[in-house]
Amino acid sequence: MNSSIFGNELIARRDFLGSVSQGLAGVALASLVAPSIGSAKTIVRHHPAKAKRVLQIFCPGAVSQVDTWDYKPALERHHGQPLPEEGAFLSFQGKNGNLMKSPWEFRAYGQTGKRLSSMLPHLGAHVDDMAFVHSLTSKTNTHGPGCVFMNTGFSADGFPANGAWVSYALGSANENLPAYVVIPDIRGEPPSGKANWTSGFLPAEHQGVALNAQKTIRNLQSPEEYSPQAESDYRRFLAQLNQRHAADSPEITELKARIAAYELAGRMQISAPEATDFAAESVGTKKLYGVDDPNPLKAAYAKNCILARRLLERGVRFITLYSGSRASGVDGLLNWDAHKKLKADYERHIPILDQPSAALITDLKSRGLLDDTLVIWTSEFGRMPTHQEGTTGRDHNPDAFTLWMLGAGVKGGTSYGATDEFGRRAAEHPTTVYDFYATVLDLLGIDHERLTFYHNGIERRLTDVHGQSITEVIA
Amino acid sequence: MLVTRISHLVRRFGTSRFFLLGLLASSGAVLWPAAAGDRVDFASEIAPIISRHCLTCHNRERAEGRLSLVSPADLARPKTPKNVVVASDPDSSLLIQMVSSSALGERPEMPKEGSPLTAEQVALLRAWVKQGAEWPEELELQPAARADLTWWSLQPLSGSAPPAVEPSLRSRVRNGVDAFVVQQLAERQLPSSPMADKRTLIRRLSFVLHGLPPEPEEIAEFLADSRPGAWERLVDRYLASPRYGERWGRHWLDVIRFGESNGYERNVIRNNAWYFRDYVIDSLNRDKPYDRFVREHLAGDRLGANEPEVEVGTAFLVGGAYDDVGNQDPAAALQIRANTIDDMINASASAFLGLTVSCARCHDHKFDPIPQADYYRFQSAFAGVQQGARILASAEERNRYERERAPLAESLEQVRQTIEQVREGVRKRVERRKPELMKQFNRPKVDPYGTEERFEPVVAKVVRLEINGTTQGRYHRPVIDEFEVWTPEPDSRNVALASYGSKATANSMRYSNDDPLLYSALKINDGGYGEYWISNLAGGVLTVEFPRPETVSRVIWSNDRVRAFSRNRSRPFSTDYTISVSVDGEEWTPVASSQGREPFNESLLNDKLFVQVVNQEENKRLGELDKRRRELERQLNAVKGLPQAWVGNFRQPAKATYLMQGGDPTRVGPEIPPSSLKVLEQLYPGYRLDPNAPEGERRLELARWLTDRRNPLFSRVMVNRLWHYHFGRGIVATPSDFGAGGSEPTHPALLDWLAGELIRHEWRLKPIHRLILNSHTWRQASDAQPEGVNRDRDAGYLWRYPPRRLEAEAIRDAILRITGSLNTAMGGPGFRLYRYSLDNVATYYPLDEYDLSTFRRSVYHQHVRAAQVDLLTDFDCPDPALPAPSRTATISPQQAMSLQNHPFVIQQAKALADRLAERHPGGSVADQVTTAYRLCFAREPEADELRAAVALVRSHGLPLFCRALINANEFIYLR
Repeated sequence: MNSSIFGNELIARRDFLGSVSQGLAGVALASLVAPSIGSAKTIVRHHPAKAKRVLQIFCPGAVSQVDTWDYKPALERHHGQPLPEEGAFLSFQGKNGNLMKSPWEFRAYGQTGKRLSSMLPHLGAHVDDMAFVHSLTSKTNTHGPGCVFMNTGFSADGFPANGAWVSYALGSANENLPAYVVIPDIRGEPPSGKANWTSGFLPAEHQGVALNAQKTIRNLQSPEEYSPQAESDYRRFLAQLNQRHAADSPEITELKARIAAYELAGRMQISAPEATDFAAESVGTKKLYGVDDPNPLKAAYAKNCILARRLLERGVRFITLYSGSRASGVDGLLNWDAHKKLKADYERHIPILDQPSAALITDLKSRGLLDDTLVIWTSEFGRMPTHQEGTTGRDHNPDAFTLWMLGAGVKGGTSYGATDEFGRRAAEHPTTVYDFYATVLDLLGIDHERLTFYHNGIERRLTDVHGQSITEVIA
Repeated sequence: MLVTRISHLVRRFGTSRFFLLGLLASSGAVLWPAAAGDRVDFASEIAPIISRHCLTCHNRERAEGRLSLVSPADLARPKTPKNVVVASDPDSSLLIQMVSSSALGERPEMPKEGSPLTAEQVALLRAWVKQGAEWPEELELQPAARADLTWWSLQPLSGSAPPAVEPSLRSRVRNGVDAFVVQQLAERQLPSSPMADKRTLIRRLSFVLHGLPPEPEEIAEFLADSRPGAWERLVDRYLASPRYGERWGRHWLDVIRFGESNGYERNVIRNNAWYFRDYVIDSLNRDKPYDRFVREHLAGDRLGANEPEVEVGTAFLVGGAYDDVGNQDPAAALQIRANTIDDMINASASAFLGLTVSCARCHDHKFDPIPQADYYRFQSAFAGVQQGARILASAEERNRYERERAPLAESLEQVRQTIEQVREGVRKRVERRKPELMKQFNRPKVDPYGTEERFEPVVAKVVRLEINGTTQGRYHRPVIDEFEVWTPEPDSRNVALASYGSKATANSMRYSNDDPLLYSALKINDGGYGEYWISNLAGGVLTVEFPRPETVSRVIWSNDRVRAFSRNRSRPFSTDYTISVSVDGEEWTPVASSQGREPFNESLLNDKLFVQVVNQEENKRLGELDKRRRELERQLNAVKGLPQAWVGNFRQPAKATYLMQGGDPTRVGPEIPPSSLKVLEQLYPGYRLDPNAPEGERRLELARWLTDRRNPLFSRVMVNRLWHYHFGRGIVATPSDFGAGGSEPTHPALLDWLAGELIRHEWRLKPIHRLILNSHTWRQASDAQPEGVNRDRDAGYLWRYPPRRLEAEAIRDAILRITGSLNTAMGGPGFRLYRYSLDNVATYYPLDEYDLSTFRRSVYHQHVRAAQVDLLTDFDCPDPALPAPSRTATISPQQAMSLQNHPFVIQQAKALADRLAERHPGGSVADQVTTAYRLCFAREPEADELRAAVALVRSHGLPLFCRALINANEFIYLR
């Protein structure tokens, strides 16, 4: 339970944790990590924070690093030749063919002149603010477990998501909105669906609340059959019932907390629609994002980008914004899983991502939000530098992929780690998802080894038993 | 609780011992004190000092002062102080400074806990630093287990008996349970509570045993029963009700992570897993001995082959999630299989032993004395267990099926053979005439990369492509990426494009939930090749209508224009087709067809020639035979089949089990035969089978060994679970972790006594329920008392009955019960509160409207993974991805939203209103309100409550008032 939810309610968080969540849940946090919990908003910070909130842009389906962010000129020189030393090796879908160059040129962007795909002109404009990690590795080569691993630190289902951990540690900065919001793509959920934003064994309140510009929060609005007067009389009556009941047992603090939760739900009914109403957005802003683009998928994603900004502005702590959804009847149709025809697939996916995401960064920057918002761009793993046998696509590659960070606390214009000549494997500073989240938590002022929760015999962490903050990307 | 936890942590960290893992053995070092000038050996001389005196705090988990001394790499970590060890310079090394006295007799700064290092140890450290502080890279110092074999839960049952109780306390003692509890309370100077009133008791009993509120009639009856033994009779009646098995079955399903979908990426639903859920409920209702129950879980197929009600127990093994996507990467495939078995190991060890054996997958357990090999001992027992469904039937059922099926199957086989003979005759003639017949094919075969048809210029408003056969045969569903219609002039235009204003339609399309147009005809004239029209029928008809009539002379279409696949491996593409044009959409003129095209492959060629060569007589014969064949197939299908259940399949493993170094299946360690766990070896004899022992033997032996009455964990863990669900908290607060990572018992003697009682009652659970329910401890009031609240806030020592919130299922079932909507039909396939959709991967969409078929008890909900279903999820119903030995009880605005706004609650509030109106036809609002209070809270409203409620009903009607009662804390809290 976030103390922020209660505002000034006379509920000691420590007592509350001790009794409400089966005793153990949360006590590890309360007693070990922050023995002096008392202030309302800041719950767990081990050192000064550079970032107050996180925006994660997630492109599911495994984005090909060598066609986007990781420039590999050797692929052009050796196009059509076998990958040295590995030959026709086996990967997720089977045999691989020879090396395949990217269908697009790479060109220099920004002051730093970092080379990215020419397909990314808008995001490329922000390259000087980005810190790339080119040497990521995953534990799995399968999308579902891969997405879940990237979001929870475990490839099996059932562990709390990144945003759930952050919600657990920091709570919400706006008591009228959820701390952790997930914005699924209009095309549907990512691989493994809701396992990507579950609270796992953390208290259920930390689960990601899914909404997007197309679909609002479930059960938010009061039933239509009740008039506003009836609704208001209902609330007063219910509050009386509950207050009377709570007065008999003042020591059960959960009873008061539930009363507060009902009040919060009432306030959310007003704040959430306000956050999703774009009427106040200027024509210029809408144009910047591309909400009127003739491509309905791009227009829908653009709206979700605006929604993300509005939610960040209003204090949502952690947002995961998806561009792409899951596997379908055809590989690479709904997400970045370009097994058979990379060029055609990415000519659909990249334009959806590029302009709206870039606009979101521009907008956050111009509003000063980047000063304390950390933006991270992720995918679950990368793709092979070879083509898949008999196709013009690439198979899954868990041994090398790229992500980037931008905004609060991030050293812009840096590139950390590197893949080998062809982008087949992480070669310099191989980095794990654990290192990445150690870094994210570090920027949020949290020591990843001390953000723990007891479950079935283990003090669990977002970073399992690994991870080291990548100080090179921190400003 | 907090107090227990902290003391627990102090114990965990305070007295921990660490040791150097396997290093001494391998170093082969000869140990002697370092004389001046001698080379100090790190592994044998320095590592033990660091392990014993430094690692308690300076390990990776705690890293006090940002320092971990686990490995040299740790010293190089960016935030670690730079001068901990300065090679060759002991005086500048923090490590040496900290452990040395600055003045004679003064205690050095470190170690903070325990005694200071001896002068000799300090000298050794100095010498080591001086000599260059060599620390081999690969040498990691690992924390030893915090518990050893003297750990409390690894001791035999103590055989404790209820203690004698002081006379002054005897009023609070009704049976052995109370003696233990009262003694603890007295020792801790905690109060105790008087008996709760009868209304509270029956409501508590009803929720705890059945997960439902009592009916007002039951309350009235109990209140009126003033004869002695009224309570005990009530307990017996409640224990005998089938509602008991439903309630406690749900608890067990939590503990063993039973779920009805595969989980992971595809998460396909399991429609045949419910047999196991029914088995659990039935076993509990029949009070099956717990040891037998568990043996059936592990080896039911061996204990009762062809006895479905026993075999079904093995569904436990495969009740977890597994990754069924498939993987061509051999190392990844091994890892996936290891993960599948890991789920079984974790489920078994946590449920039956309360040990976190899974923690020993990569290394020896960090807290408990569980060697890594123990993990692989379990793995070898489960190495032959495969996920999947199979027939679950008795011998009689199998015989009956065979009797009915065999004659039909035989006739069918004969008909098929006859058909084959006739066809073979035709095929021979085809072969003979082939050279001549091939002449008809004067045009190239169709090309999935792009097929063109040219025809005389013709005016058309609509062009149509009818597909009657595909490259993969007649019964496949064609796929098209683009269909172009070109004009005849030199700078020919494609007038089919949507951007030109043309409209494409199809008679059928594959459906996608996420995007209804994903596979629609719109994809064939979008000018791009990345998306497809996919028919949902064999064959299909595509039409393109231009904005105005056009003169056209050419059509090009394809299904793989970007050449992603080789031509032969492309998805189904049109081979038999007709292209027609029309000016009005009514009269059609064919302009081109597949006539004369060479068949796409050998098999299609033969099919085509067959039709041309077969004669009338043969055709007639084949027609009759085919009719007969279909009739026989129909009859065969009509034979009542044998049920298929998700109970797992068993296959002899191809090779023995090996320890995996670091948990990595590609790093093979020593062979591990199927055998008992070393951690329990000191307690009773174990077993050891041949490394290639028959698969079933392995599980059977494991089952016998685990359920041995000399295994103290087996009985302790189970009675603690019972206690946990009775009081909201176990005697051990971590029900599936009796190791050093978990909590220690608040009442160890009581726990052992109850475990002994369970064995004495031949592992039947109901006698233990009776002991608990008939105790004063269970029946005491839950009112607060200042001394209790102040000293034992959560009533861990049971100075009162601990009040708590109901679980999600109990809340939902209670709503259905009070509104009179509950359908108590038991067993069979479950209901769903989501819409299931499968397009390669499964998606579960929560429903807004529930129909009557869902008004059953929540235990019958088809409980899938990675779904969110409003009320159930919001009130902490766990995802069965992992075992859930206890539930959390969170508080969130989402709960308020789903409980007051979901159409289910609104509808149920109306149902309750109707029920009240029915009970009091034309009656007073006050009567209706009073009945509502009895139903929801098992009590009478007080005068002021009544007034407020009547006022609300008068202004806004009964449903709104009912919605408020359902949302009241009192409704969902147990006390």
